This record gives sequence, C-alpha cells and structure tokens, in this order.
Amino acid sequence: MIPRRLALTAGILLCCTACLPAQTRMPDWSGQWEIAGAAPSVSGGFKDSLDQVLKEMQWSPPNRPEVQAKVNQIDAEERKRIAAIKRGEEVAVTGPTCTFGFPMIMIDSPLMFEILPTPKETVLIFSGREVRHVYTDGRDHTPKDDLWPTPWGDSIGHWEGDTLVIDTIEVKSPFPGTGPDYLPVLAAGGEAGQALLVTYLSSRAHFVEQIRMVDRDHLENQMTITDPVDFTAPWHLTRTYRRVKSLNRMVYESCEGEGEDRNPIVNGHYTIAPPRREGFPTPAPTNAPAGQAPVTK
Amino acid sequence: MSRVLNCSLIAVAAMLTASSALAHHSFAMFDQSKTVTIQGTVKDFRWTNPHVFIQIMVKNDAGVEEEWSIEMTSPEHLVRVGWKPGTLKPGDKITLNIHPMHDGSDGGQYLSGIGPDGQPLIGTPTPSQGQAK
Repeated sequence: MIPRRLALTAGILLCCTACLPAQTRMPDWSGQWEIAGAAPSVSGGFKDSLDQVLKEMQWSPPNRPEVQAKVNQIDAEERKRIAAIKRGEEVAVTGPTCTFGFPMIMIDSPLMFEILPTPKETVLIFSGREVRHVYTDGRDHTPKDDLWPTPWGDSIGHWEGDTLVIDTIEVKSPFPGTGPDYLPVLAAGGEAGQALLVTYLSSRAHFVEQIRMVDRDHLENQMTITDPVDFTAPWHLTRTYRRVKSLNRMVYESCEGEGEDRNPIVNGHYTIAPPRREGFPTPAPTNAPAGQAPVTK
Repeated sequence: MSRVLNCSLIAVAAMLTASSALAHHSFAMFDQSKTVTIQGTVKDFRWTNPHVFIQIMVKNDAGVEEEWSIEMTSPEHLVRVGWKPGTLKPGDKITLNIHPMHDGSDGGQYLSGIGPDGQPLIGTPTPSQGQAK
C-alpha cells in the first residue's frame, strides 16, 4: 500500500503538471533540419534534377484557368532559357536576390534551419539568416492599420498537442520588380539551380501550416494555402523536413559573401574574379556593382 | 490584349529573377554543354561565402602553370555532405571535372574529382549512382 503522504504528494504533482498551460510543455525539435527533396549539390545547384523534383512533388495547385495559362507561358519561356544554357549559348543574366521568403523557405529551399519553440513564440532560424517569428501567446494578427506585406508575412500560432499550427498572412515576393499580387511558388532542381513556376499567389493568400514531429529524425508540415484571387479551391501540400545528421551546429550561409563574392557582373554577364590576397580592399571596376570584387584578369 | 501581354512580360521578368535567386547567381557563365577534366596542384582552398573555390595550378599546352578558379557551392551546403575547410590542402595533386567558363578564362563549375589519395572526392558519383548524390 502506498503511504498516504506519498500518494498525496504524487497527486499534487500530477495535478500541477496537468494544470500547466499546454504551451509550456514544448516539444524537443532541436537540431538542424533540411527539406527532403531540396538538398543542395556540391556544384552549387541541387542534388535532384528539376524533372525529378517535379515528379516527386506532384504539385497541382488549383490555379484558375487564366493563372494556369500564364504559368504555362512563363514556364515555356523558362524552359527555352534552360535549354539555351544547356546548349552552351550565352544568355542574359539577371541580378540575384538573397532572400527566399515565405512560403519558398518552407517548401523548396536548400537552406537548413532550426526551430526554437518557446512558450510565447516559436522562432525558425534559417542558415541564410532569414527568421520567422510565430507568436503563440494568444494574440491576433497585427491590426490592419499597422500591417504591411513582407517576404515572411505576419504569423501567429498555437499548439494542438505537439502540433504547431501557424497562420500567416500579408506575404509579398522578395524578388525585385514583382508587384503585390505576384508571389511565385517555384520548383527548383538540377546542378545549375534551374527553376520552374508552379503557381503564383495574390496579396490575399492565406497560409495555415501544421508542423509535427513524425519521428526523431523527421518533421512534417501540412500546409494549406487559400487564395480567393488565383485559386479555385484550397491547395494542400505536405513537406517533410529531415534531420541533418552530419552536423550538430548551425553553419552560416551568406549570399552577399564576406568580402569574397567573386562573381561580379561584367558587361552584362557573371564571371569569376581572381581571389583577393592583398589583405586590403581594392576599388571595384566601374562596370561592376558597388561592393563587388574587381576583375583584374 | 496589350494589358495581358504586359502583365505576362512582367511575370516572365519576375520569374527569371526568381530563378537566379535560388542559386545566388545565374549559371549561364559556365558552359554546361562541355565537361572538361583538369589535373594540377592545389594552391589554395578558399572556404568562403557565398562560394568555396579551389585554386589549382594547371599546366597549359606549353607546359606553363596557370592558376584556375574552380567554383563550388557554399560552406553551409558542403559541410552537410562531409566537406571541411581542410579537405584540400596546398600541394595536393588532384583531378577535377568541371564545366568550363564560356569566356575561356581559367575557371569553371566544380562537378566531381579525384583527391590526392586517388579516391573520389566527397560527392563524386560512383558508377552505380549515375550522378552526384
């Protein structure tokens, strides 16, 4: 028989544990995560070919007919460009943007990330130094008069057991030259980092994610996107995040470089500049953007 | 009609920008229709963002050594498959398969290689794999 005092103590402990708010019992999602099917190659692109990615994703967003027609047109142009590059024909280049933004950073990015759940906020930190703040303290979305679109949007969340439910609005494309109603969703693959458009979203797009741990080495994100402008129905897609087992720390990725970006645009084309060994900065050539390495070859 | 066309052109431009963003820069500077093999001695293994470079001394047809710059992906991506800052060291004699530069300059995109120990470098496909994994 259990002594009365011990039983009483155990009862109090059980009661206290049960009374704790659900969000104070945070799941352990520590470690680094990568998106399955979007792993990078050593060459600078992706391990899987673009065709493999398209086949494995099997994405079929419920695009309105006019949206699908535009997507088809854009992809036809892009396929021509990819073929031209493969044939060895020089084609014009466009300037890079170093931000993936949401939802791409969650569904088809080669960057690894960490997830830090805390009682009032869960933070997702990506190796490229993008950050998502998901507030789980019970607040509503930021009031409209204090809200504007950003590449990561406005996210609030709550826990349903060990599943984090995230609600995101007010997302805009991180890519320059795009309007408020052109948030592209791309499928990317191949050693040259080729990409095709799957769909694009309007400024009224609304995202709900349900992230849970499937097993110790896998997380799953079931995402539902609704867009009254571009979709005929909600789009459900699932992405799996795989634990990066070869590392026990986050490693910094910098698109801008650390004074060693050796790919200046010269006469409209990227090139490779020689390494800097002088130890002191040297002036950039007049035909390269400010901050780019000089070309001395 | 012209409005639709204009919208489409804007969308195409945005799409091209988006493609470039996924890989820091366009790969159009590399001639993807050609794969060449170079042999030489590592001068420097530059472990830097946004791209790691292998600086390798390669003898030209006249027997004169020239420095080539071979571009890889970023440190973040390389460490995930096992590369480290000390994987290659000055003096290492290696063989590399690359896509050469379009402009004929001494450089290219890293594809695969054989290390100083005669073994494939990390990420180099084996015959059964077909492509780098």
